[in-house]
Amino acid sequence: MSSAFPSLRTRPTLPAPGVSRATSVYLRSSTTAPVHSSVTSLNSLFNQTNLNSPRLPDGEDCKGLVCRAFVPHIAVHVSDDTNELAREKGFVDFKDMLRPYGESIQGRITIRDSQGISTTHDDYGVRFVSLTDVAGSGEKWESGASRAMNGSSEKAASSGSGVFQGGSVEEVEELVNLHMERAEELNETSLPSDGDTPTFNQSFYMLYLRRILSALPLSPHETFSHPVACVIAISSRNANPIDSLRSLYNSGNQLPLPNYLSTDYLRYYVLVHDEDRDDIKKSTILFDQMKKHFGLHCHLLRLRSGGASVISDDDAVIVPKSQWVSAAEELHEIRSRDYEDEQPTTCLPDSDATGIQTMVREMAQVSVIPFMERCIATWNDQVASRRRGISGRFLSMSKRYFTASSSRNSTSSSSNYDALSQSYPPSSPEAQMRKLADYAFMVRDWRLAHSIYELLRTDFNNDKAWKYHAGAQEMAAISLILTGTGLTSKVRADTIAPMLDLSCYSYLSRCSATYNALRCLLVAVELLRIRGGGAADEAATWAIRARDMNAQGTIGHTLITERVGACYTIREGIGSGAWGARKRKAAMWKMLAAGEWLEVGKLAQSRRCLDTALPVYQGSRFLHIHSFMEHLKQQAGYTPLLVDLQDGRRRGGGDGEEEDSDEEEGVEIQSETLHAGFKRKSLIVGREVEREVENEAESGLDRFVDS
Amino acid sequence: MSFYFAIVGTKDNPIYEAEFGTSKQGGDGVARFREEQRSMNQFIVHSSLDIVEEVQWATPTMYMKCVDKFNNLLVSCFLTAGNIKFLLLHDQKADDAIRQFFTDVYDLYTKTLMNPFYEVDMRITSGVFDGKVKQAAKKYL
Repeated sequence: MSSAFPSLRTRPTLPAPGVSRATSVYLRSSTTAPVHSSVTSLNSLFNQTNLNSPRLPDGEDCKGLVCRAFVPHIAVHVSDDTNELAREKGFVDFKDMLRPYGESIQGRITIRDSQGISTTHDDYGVRFVSLTDVAGSGEKWESGASRAMNGSSEKAASSGSGVFQGGSVEEVEELVNLHMERAEELNETSLPSDGDTPTFNQSFYMLYLRRILSALPLSPHETFSHPVACVIAISSRNANPIDSLRSLYNSGNQLPLPNYLSTDYLRYYVLVHDEDRDDIKKSTILFDQMKKHFGLHCHLLRLRSGGASVISDDDAVIVPKSQWVSAAEELHEIRSRDYEDEQPTTCLPDSDATGIQTMVREMAQVSVIPFMERCIATWNDQVASRRRGISGRFLSMSKRYFTASSSRNSTSSSSNYDALSQSYPPSSPEAQMRKLADYAFMVRDWRLAHSIYELLRTDFNNDKAWKYHAGAQEMAAISLILTGTGLTSKVRADTIAPMLDLSCYSYLSRCSATYNALRCLLVAVELLRIRGGGAADEAATWAIRARDMNAQGTIGHTLITERVGACYTIREGIGSGAWGARKRKAAMWKMLAAGEWLEVGKLAQSRRCLDTALPVYQGSRFLHIHSFMEHLKQQAGYTPLLVDLQDGRRRGGGDGEEEDSDEEEGVEIQSETLHAGFKRKSLIVGREVEREVENEAESGLDRFVDS
Repeated sequence: MSFYFAIVGTKDNPIYEAEFGTSKQGGDGVARFREEQRSMNQFIVHSSLDIVEEVQWATPTMYMKCVDKFNNLLVSCFLTAGNIKFLLLHDQKADDAIRQFFTDVYDLYTKTLMNPFYEVDMRITSGVFDGKVKQAAKKYL
């Protein structure tokens, strides 16, 4: 198509629309929309494209979602008295208090990339995790095999100990199912709720995707969830603060962290001052002392003491809900909420909220980001460039050829990969480079990240470190799409497709890591989809691949089916005929999704899919399609609101099928009053009356009275 | 190996539909589609029109070979001069056999078009046409 359309567009003089209308009827093949000429003038060509372009609904910023999913993790390790302070305010612990504010940092964050160019981001965030949770969750990931074998018992153990980890497809599914059931109930019994719960647009899928990307599990092969920094905090209630800071530092080091975790992260010391109970002068002196001891990475956080504030308080602000909690945690929360009567909303005094916001912002901008920039620069200089340079190339090449030929045993000894624990030690150049690439990815320097992942790809392949290999492939593909330039169809076919393919293969058949494979595909799908054009087609192909993977349960499967349709929807056509659009494909996938929703008993979802699919099939002369459609409509209790409206609009253009479609609507109205909410009914009845008056008043009134 | 063949008019309306099985390798020429597959066939063929409309501008020949694929099912297309599409759903690649089949059907269709009582986009109900298409299918597929 690419070769055909430009020539069409650049031709300066084309016959006016009216001239060729009569002859072009047979050339066109679309059923909907009044007949345009197949060759149109230049102006109308562009106007039409703009009109037809599908608009993205709000809250569908997929690139932003992916960017915000991969952000630095900051561990929190605090003294008991600090936790106590947070508990008095109605939080579980200090981490729980910081977490919502870390997810979206107020204001802009400036980051310098490896070229020294500064970019600002206003949607940056960090994740706070508890250091003990990190230590607790790491053990499960020692080897993939053991996890696969006793996955269920671990799940029980983890929920018991209060450590919530992401990375479980089933839990995500369960959660989405729960939300969906609630929405379904609401829709059946009352008006669709507005705003609060995720209602209908794309948001169930977005929720699914967000939960898949939430709380990335700790794993040796990627370092996104490894802590970049650690907050060490004490409160002013502490009797001998400096000593307890020291002991916190030591206990943090002595925690049984997984051995693939590098411990040279940044330490950030926080003194929490209790405004009401303690003297600020004393705290300031202490803070100065801290600065002297620990350097610049210190912060004095002034909080009001006292119990939990309620919403009726003067200066109370509601603490935002954490957006990136793991599915397990949200499930746990919903279940525990079911026993209580009302939703617990935690509030903080305004000054506290601002204080925390300022602290998080300062920590990110002044300490964490520069720390990461420094790490990137150092590793890039010392590790990556050595590997990239001529000697590095020779070294890796000689390693490959000579060791393989000399003896079998030495292959394993020459590489840093420990096959037993399936990981590289954190000090090895490979692990450091992966960390470098991940840091670069997290500060959104896609280009550098991509080049490092490229290098790592081959290294991991040589070492047969399959999970690392799959991870590097995945991130190489994703960072390449994110760079956003020169992503031609050739690059997509020759570079990205094999990378994604290999990554999935390695994840699935070599490591049986279905979660990672699914995540890899879904992220790639979203990123390709928003590029539109041919990339959207490929997005659909990958989505189909994810659908066929059978890693998900029925809910995920159906959500992805629907997403395939959405991938096709985004593709715009060119010209008045919308050539190159994927209207019919989108409709087919929506129809499939509608069928699948019916099977799992989600009628509202099914109806929503039908709403988008039906206009294409309305009046289709394919018998089986027609009967399938009628069957679905009947099963789902579908009300032809949307179709009806479009029909009415089309009737202005005038085509020959008015009579029979009117008949149909008459029948439909009877059934719809049984199912639809009040709003819908009144709307249709109102319109119905209007139309009846024009035609035959008696029968219409009868029906109206009946209903 | 079963086939679903449809001639689709200018308004996405099916003019003629047929199902048949292979006659090669001892096949009896009977299609073996399950009931739910029937509607799926039509969906697949209908959705492949999107691709046909795109490919038709870039292909010099009227026979576009295999244009689309759904799971393991392939769709081949032949576009006539009057923008009528011959679509064949099949599950194995056989470009040449399908080309010959399409050429035969095109002859038959052109002859139908010569009928003074037939108008473009009208459903073809002629038993003779049906018989001859089946014959062509038996010969090539």
